[in-house]
Amino acid sequence: MIIIITSLVITMLAGAIAACALRDLLSAAIASCLVSLAAAILFYFLQAPDVAMAEASIGAALVTAILVIAIRRTERQE
Amino acid sequence: MIEIIYLVIITGGVIFCLMRALMGPTAGDRAVSLDTLSTVTAALLVLAGYVFKRGVYLDVSLVYAALAFLGSVAIARFLEKGI
Repeated sequence: MIIIITSLVITMLAGAIAACALRDLLSAAIASCLVSLAAAILFYFLQAPDVAMAEASIGAALVTAILVIAIRRTERQE
Repeated sequence: MIEIIYLVIITGGVIFCLMRALMGPTAGDRAVSLDTLSTVTAALLVLAGYVFKRGVYLDVSLVYAALAFLGSVAIARFLEKGI
């Protein structure tokens, strides 16, 4: 169990660093979606399935769609 | 014993998807790898529900599999220049 939690935290860290470092804003939005996905799985393995459900539905789906619409309205490259 | 084999196979798929999501040169590679990662993650959640012997955990996988494609659809529509 500790191996799963550690690998999920490392995945979240790598996704957050990628979201900060990438110049392409669409790739940065995809990296933030990766962070949200790993957070949902982490909530799931920490025995909180309802929080994981809310995080997966809101964080992984709606936030990415809203970010992509915002990038569509503005510029793609930073 | 068989659960450990399943977990190793799913972990291999997750690792390759993460490599493509972090290294991919274009945004299309990252979008496809994220979509694949969502599918593999739904399988992982079902496997964890089987290991923990909790039927409630299957609902999370159902909601996640039903809603995870919205982000992929939004990104795909953006790449087609017509959201």
